[in-house]
Amino acid sequence: MNVHTSATAPALPILTIDDLHIDFALHTGTVQAVRGISFELYKGETLALVGESGSGKSITAQSILQLLPEPVRYTQGSIQYQQQELIGASTTAIRKVRGDRIAMIFQEPMTSLNPLQSIEHQVAEVLIEHKGMTRRQAAARVLELFQLVEIPDPKRRLKAYPHELSGGQRQRVMIAMALACEPDILIADEPTTALDVTIQAQVMALLKGLQHKFGMAILFITHDLGVVHQFADRVCVMRKGQLVEQGITEAVFSQPQHPYTCELLDSEPSGNKPPVSQDAPVILDAKQVQVEFPIRAGFLGRVVNQFRAVDGISLTLRQGQTVGIVGESGSGKSTLGKALLKLLDGHGDIHFDGIQIDGLEPLAMRPLRRKMQVVFQDPFGSLSPRMTIGEIIAEGLKVHEPLMRPDQRDEAVCAALEEVAISPASRNRYPHEFSGGQRQRIAIARAMVLKPKFLLLDEPTSALDRSVQVRVIELLRELQDKHKLTYLFISHDLAVVRALSDHVMVMRTGEVVEQGPTEEIFNCPQQAYTRELIAAACPLGSSAERACNPA
Amino acid sequence: MRMAPGGPFDGERKLPPEIEANLLAAYNMDQPLYLQYFDYLAGLLVGDFGPSFKYKDFTVTELIWSGFPISFELGMWAMLIGIIFGIGFGCYAALRQNTPGDYLVMSTAMAGIAIPNFVMAPILTLVFGVMLGWLPAGGWNDGAWQNKVLPILALALPQVAYIARMTRGSMIEVMGAQFIRTARAKGISERKVVTRHALKSALLPVISYLGPATAGVITGSVVIEQIFGIPGIGRYFVQAALNRDYTLVMGTVVFYGGLIILFNLLVDLIYGWLDPQIRYE
Repeated sequence: MNVHTSATAPALPILTIDDLHIDFALHTGTVQAVRGISFELYKGETLALVGESGSGKSITAQSILQLLPEPVRYTQGSIQYQQQELIGASTTAIRKVRGDRIAMIFQEPMTSLNPLQSIEHQVAEVLIEHKGMTRRQAAARVLELFQLVEIPDPKRRLKAYPHELSGGQRQRVMIAMALACEPDILIADEPTTALDVTIQAQVMALLKGLQHKFGMAILFITHDLGVVHQFADRVCVMRKGQLVEQGITEAVFSQPQHPYTCELLDSEPSGNKPPVSQDAPVILDAKQVQVEFPIRAGFLGRVVNQFRAVDGISLTLRQGQTVGIVGESGSGKSTLGKALLKLLDGHGDIHFDGIQIDGLEPLAMRPLRRKMQVVFQDPFGSLSPRMTIGEIIAEGLKVHEPLMRPDQRDEAVCAALEEVAISPASRNRYPHEFSGGQRQRIAIARAMVLKPKFLLLDEPTSALDRSVQVRVIELLRELQDKHKLTYLFISHDLAVVRALSDHVMVMRTGEVVEQGPTEEIFNCPQQAYTRELIAAACPLGSSAERACNPA
Repeated sequence: MRMAPGGPFDGERKLPPEIEANLLAAYNMDQPLYLQYFDYLAGLLVGDFGPSFKYKDFTVTELIWSGFPISFELGMWAMLIGIIFGIGFGCYAALRQNTPGDYLVMSTAMAGIAIPNFVMAPILTLVFGVMLGWLPAGGWNDGAWQNKVLPILALALPQVAYIARMTRGSMIEVMGAQFIRTARAKGISERKVVTRHALKSALLPVISYLGPATAGVITGSVVIEQIFGIPGIGRYFVQAALNRDYTLVMGTVVFYGGLIILFNLLVDLIYGWLDPQIRYE
């Protein structure tokens, strides 16, 4: 699979980036997004640009086609495509390269396609522009391309609009658009981040196959080291706008030279959780939980059918246990979590802490609510932007302990913040002043201040960078040990689930595919779907195999 | 309306009671209010708006049809100008965001919105009618084009301003969208990016404004028609209200309501045509 190694390097690189500096001149001052980056891309190879959010990798990618919005300043350096300088090139010159010689696909296949045009029209546009095809010729070629990127039933899909396609299909349309003119370079900016793991594996395999066919070079921008390990020939590691390390993938992964690379590699969640004893008290016991959503149709919104999001699931959580629920989007895992806490209505017996809670009135539920808390995925959306973090954390106390004196409440807030390693002095600040990881800690503090017995963690780490994830996982472990907490951990991220839970449940279309102790599920999965999921997740291998000893 | 004191036949001199009773009977006004109301509704169903109380020998339908074509013509021209120039200026400003050109267009538009038309119309008359003498200052003159220019302009200016502001706002938003970046990455020219990809999306919110706005403009502006002395439907409306010509007031209101429904329906149909996401399966 390695088309390029240093031994067989063709004489001239197809793309050369030399000492690239990119600034953004904002009102508040100049931001140096990229500070002196140099790398070369050769024909037919896959070069991965890896880094966490804010490392400048996407900016570098977009600078190649000069797609960065104002007020961008290229202060220094050059970007050369086959000896042609792209920085400051005329618009006509750039346009000849864009979409024809260098094509790009983006992270969000949902919003990267024009919602008002048929997909055929959008792909044909490139062909008409660069190849001078007529509409009819382009249409024939588009059908070929759709077959090439394996869009199911391509003939019928030609006239489809983006909203009628799934995420994976939309990304295939983007790829078809990018490959239309058989470019020399394909820049893929986090092409699979928004997709489920099994879809991600399919899209990556497709890209790899097409690369083989057309011999194009791929510049692959990602934060996902697993994907890099599997698909890239060479890696560039970026941090804060600088390149800290570059080299052949195998070498970088087995013998990283820079401490930051080590940190990145080790930030793959690791460790496991010993199971709790069988006679630990049962915290949550649910039998045959079912959730249905009505499907409405017609002028008056008549209910024509029921969509069963969760179909008869039973589970038992003991004190100190962590049950991980894995599944792809639409599998019903979040719905199950919400139904267990009675955040939405379902059927089935649910006992919480010995009390039957299905059928309880909202008012009767309230005293129990303090013992069951939730941490959601999106640390940006789930904290009110108009309240200080102190107010956010204290709000639960005001509801559940209205008689508490303000100074006691303040003390409790400070204690909760200290527990999640955030300075209590910052409790008068607003959520936007904190980073993603800090916000997730605040969300955890908000739950912990009520001293709950049970936490529902709904994708709490999915929006975070790997290195931040690891710290949040550690925090969750600490809190569990200290307070004998029980977790229900919902995630699509198998690595995190494996690290945190002692029991795993694999869900698909509202049903349990397989469940059992974590190590059993991961080491010898019984069901084909589970195997597919685990294979698709591209594990990095344990850090023991790596000689991680930088200077 | 009918509960308000006074009536259509009250004048300087009190009418003799017999005559007044006869008049009321002739117009069905001696019956209880609810019966009058049902009679009116029944008439509406067959398209009969009833007789006018003040313009004897005319039915309300006849009055509306005599005034509406005039208002409709002026209004349509005004909307056409509003759409063409509004969208044009809006796009211009959006694509030159935060440049002097943008500021100039937007401050003019703000002024256009802020100046009420009872100020704008006399200014236009003063400049073009009186000082320059290019155009007649008022009157209808049986629909000569010179007489139409100023009222159309006065009707169009606020529309240009509104539409320009809306277009600019939504255009700026759309130009920041991801699919615009995709379009640029395809290598098509900036002009095509705007006309093929951005414009359609940017116009969606403008179109939803156009429905009720068109209905409002073509049913005649009370103020403009008074100032320029145009025999449109808007002028009837004011006079009818002053004269307590109940059926004429009701008739114009119902007619206006019907047009608003019609234009909103048109907007919905256009929306469905433009935006595949809201098409009904």
